[in-house]
Amino acid sequence: MKINKAFRHCSGLALLGGLLLAGGAHAQSDSTECIAPAKPGGGYDLTCRLAANGLQETGLIDKPMVVSYMPGGIGAVAYNHVNGVRKDDPNLIVAASTGAAVNLALGKFGQYDATEVRWLGALGVDYGAIVVNADAPWQNLDELMADLRDNPGEIAFGAGGTIGSQDWMKAALTAKAADISPKSLRYVAFEGGGEALAALLGDHIQVFTGDLSELKSQLESGKIRVLAALSEERMNGPYAEIPTAAEQGYDVQWPIWRGYYMGPNVDDEAYYTWVQRLTELSEDPEFAELREARGLFPMSRFGPDFDGYVQEQVGEFKALADEVGLRQ
Amino acid sequence: MKLAADRWLGVFLIGLAAFVAVQAVRLEVPFSYDPVGPKAFPLILSLLLAALSLVLVFKPGANGHWPNRALAVKLLAVLGVLLLYALLFTRLGFVAMSLLAITALARIFAASWGKALLTGVLMAMGSYFLFTHGLGISLPGGYWLDGLV
Amino acid sequence: MFDFLIQGFGVALSPLNLGLAFLGALLGTLFGALPGIGPINGIAILMPLAYTLGLPAESALILLAGIYTGAEYGGRMSSILLNVPGDAGAVMTTLDGHPLAKKGLAGPALGLSAVSSFVGATIAILGLTLFAPLLAEVAVMFGPAEFFALMVFAFASMSVMMGKDPTKTAIGAVLGVLIGTIGVDSGTGVLRYTFGMPELYDGIDFVVMIIGLFAISEILLMLEHANRKDSDGDIPPLGRVFVSLKEVLYCKGAMLRSGLIGFIIGVLPGTGASVAGAVSYTTEKRLSDKEGTFGTGDMRGLAAPEAANNASAAGSFVPMLTLGIPGSGTTAVLLGALMLYNITPGPMMFSERPEVAGGLIASLYIGNLVLLALNLPLAGVFARVLTIPRWVLVPGIAILAFVGVYQLHSDLTAIYLMLIIGVFGYLLRKLGFSLAPVILGYVLGGLMEQNLRRALSISGGDVEILWRSGISLGLWIAAAALLILPWLLPKLISKLQSSSKPLEQVEDD
Repeated sequence: MKINKAFRHCSGLALLGGLLLAGGAHAQSDSTECIAPAKPGGGYDLTCRLAANGLQETGLIDKPMVVSYMPGGIGAVAYNHVNGVRKDDPNLIVAASTGAAVNLALGKFGQYDATEVRWLGALGVDYGAIVVNADAPWQNLDELMADLRDNPGEIAFGAGGTIGSQDWMKAALTAKAADISPKSLRYVAFEGGGEALAALLGDHIQVFTGDLSELKSQLESGKIRVLAALSEERMNGPYAEIPTAAEQGYDVQWPIWRGYYMGPNVDDEAYYTWVQRLTELSEDPEFAELREARGLFPMSRFGPDFDGYVQEQVGEFKALADEVGLRQ
Repeated sequence: MKLAADRWLGVFLIGLAAFVAVQAVRLEVPFSYDPVGPKAFPLILSLLLAALSLVLVFKPGANGHWPNRALAVKLLAVLGVLLLYALLFTRLGFVAMSLLAITALARIFAASWGKALLTGVLMAMGSYFLFTHGLGISLPGGYWLDGLV
Repeated sequence: MFDFLIQGFGVALSPLNLGLAFLGALLGTLFGALPGIGPINGIAILMPLAYTLGLPAESALILLAGIYTGAEYGGRMSSILLNVPGDAGAVMTTLDGHPLAKKGLAGPALGLSAVSSFVGATIAILGLTLFAPLLAEVAVMFGPAEFFALMVFAFASMSVMMGKDPTKTAIGAVLGVLIGTIGVDSGTGVLRYTFGMPELYDGIDFVVMIIGLFAISEILLMLEHANRKDSDGDIPPLGRVFVSLKEVLYCKGAMLRSGLIGFIIGVLPGTGASVAGAVSYTTEKRLSDKEGTFGTGDMRGLAAPEAANNASAAGSFVPMLTLGIPGSGTTAVLLGALMLYNITPGPMMFSERPEVAGGLIASLYIGNLVLLALNLPLAGVFARVLTIPRWVLVPGIAILAFVGVYQLHSDLTAIYLMLIIGVFGYLLRKLGFSLAPVILGYVLGGLMEQNLRRALSISGGDVEILWRSGISLGLWIAAAALLILPWLLPKLISKLQSSSKPLEQVEDD
């Protein structure tokens, strides 16, 4: 009995030791990973899946890419994680967007700023839109702007984000284009674009500053009117009828890019391998279909070009935030 | 006379309410579109909490059954195991760490060494395969198990 | 008029789709039953898979909808058996479900909850089929002011849960609301109680909250029970396995009312299964709990939230299918799935892609039947979970808790938070608090604050907006009635009785 017991203990310990060693040795693996800094199903998830599905289907990676979730502060948790823990992981990319750039500019990403990480590239872009109910009195942006100048307190704007979020920025920039301080707007912050859209359909708010891609179904039903697309030029397909703000004489643009970054200490070799991969992916005709299915428009900026773009954008947002007293 | 647990709780909660209120007052709000703002709700709540806690201090309920020393040690042991599990979860990997944690927990819940180890091995491996292969959830550092199959 | 449905049944009854509905129901039950892993994860994980397998749109949707409804069925299992809610909708299920299991009625409780889930879901699917477009119009009439009134109503209806210790119930609710204020303030973007930790920016996650509060504290309490000599035994007796027809009929009122309540709340975008469960439970307690047996293992207290959370799951399809607006987190993910197939939900969907709209609705009918058929006979098997020895069960719960939280956050801070909340929950329970008010305060408080402030930013500070519409006025009156009537009615009745007695006597003579 005693021997039996002793044997059991020893074999148990041996097994434990063996497993621990094996676990330690193999904790690192060569499969690629994309962190979506949000809960499953959100925009960041979509960004990661776009890369994961695209790279796999075009054969640019051989093992499926792992998508993991790290929600918190529109990417703040993941940004801190990458800058603090996984600084040099050559197989890790993290999804980011204009929303992340806005929060970087506002200092909401903790101690790290936008120059910290290695910005990799963007694979697609969505554009902001100024939307009103189909029964609304305004037929074009001019009429809305004129009304807004006269009674800024009568028109309630709504969108899916707080003051200082990228959704709010669209409303703030629109107000600025009408020479109105963003502070004297009426703005209602909802939890996500869907709730704001419902409030627009129910006439609780008058103007919804949303994104083009989320409006596709509403365009067909004819329940809303899109007064302006906040893009550089007109989009095609179902959006061909929508004029840009610039066309109507208001200089408001709001691209919402969907891209990726890597850790601060990733070496050049790994970084440029990824830049190469994403560039090749963006040129693949198969990828265009994938991107379109996710409601995104083409955008191709990679490597240092993209890095410069992000830095410039963050600089602009900082200036705007200072103007309205938002910087912390 | 021993002070009823509810009294301690009441005093603690009044402290908490004060903390909540102070933090709320110190919030810096650049600007707000609604007249209520982010401070009002926490302030009202802290007042409510303080008032309710006062009731607790003056009219405490019966003192419940509190664990004796031996049990308290065991409770702390469970928490210790869970904390260690969390600390080493990513470092040692899911399978290895689960094996340790399961075995330890089973031991605390009075299983024999043999049963505990058996549970540990079976459950750690089984849950790893269920989660990764069955449900498609990625877990830290268990990749090496794939080589065994 | 119902051509789309006939076509839909044609689609849903094809062997492939029938198989997928079955698979979805099974997987969904599993996802729902595992605490922390809910329908959103299930769908988010399987969506890319369905897409890469090249399933046609309607088939993929049938699979995913099966997972969604299945998860609502599955969520009750750990609520009843372990006192740990499997997902958001199943929090209220613990209140009477677990006491039933402790009494040795785990099998009947599981069976009854399957039947109530079926009844609730059927009410909602019928409502979806018959009135979807009409309801969508009503749903958008709910603006911030109406939601605020709804939350006031919900809090008022919670007053029924005051029970034997009203002070502690109220403190629990206040603590819950306070926990809900942690994170970015959704109005101004100001950070509240985050102490510079980015992990707290989004507040305390619901899953972290319920797993910590229920699962971790349950582990600690189990240890106490196992070590106490005077405890009611390690393992509750395993009594009868099946629910009797008499018991089902006893709960029919609760099921029907709660199914209706759940459906209506599910249709509203922004409120989901957890609110539906809370409102239906408190309503039912108020209406039928004459003997004060709710909370001690009353079958009706189990039937109500189960009927409601399943009805709300089906109800949330209404705004998604008719307006293209997600009614819940899960339908938001489903909407993403539809977009992948280049289908844009909305009123046009019923005429343009009837096979998708009809197929989905038909598959809800079928999936619901499958789930009932799957769950009733298996109740006895699942009830055996209770006979598993503690030294296997506890590590199992711990692993599920860790994996559930980790796969959602990939971050250890969430796990530490879960442990801290677990200790907090344990202390609360030792001090005689009930956990339900804490969770309800946490869910409802945030909605209440946000909608009040949204309403006031629409009106520019004019409080009249809060009762301007008929809907909100009605809700205010209902809330006031809930608070005043229980206090007023007994007095009125006694007054009436004393004044009517002489009359009766006169008539008798």
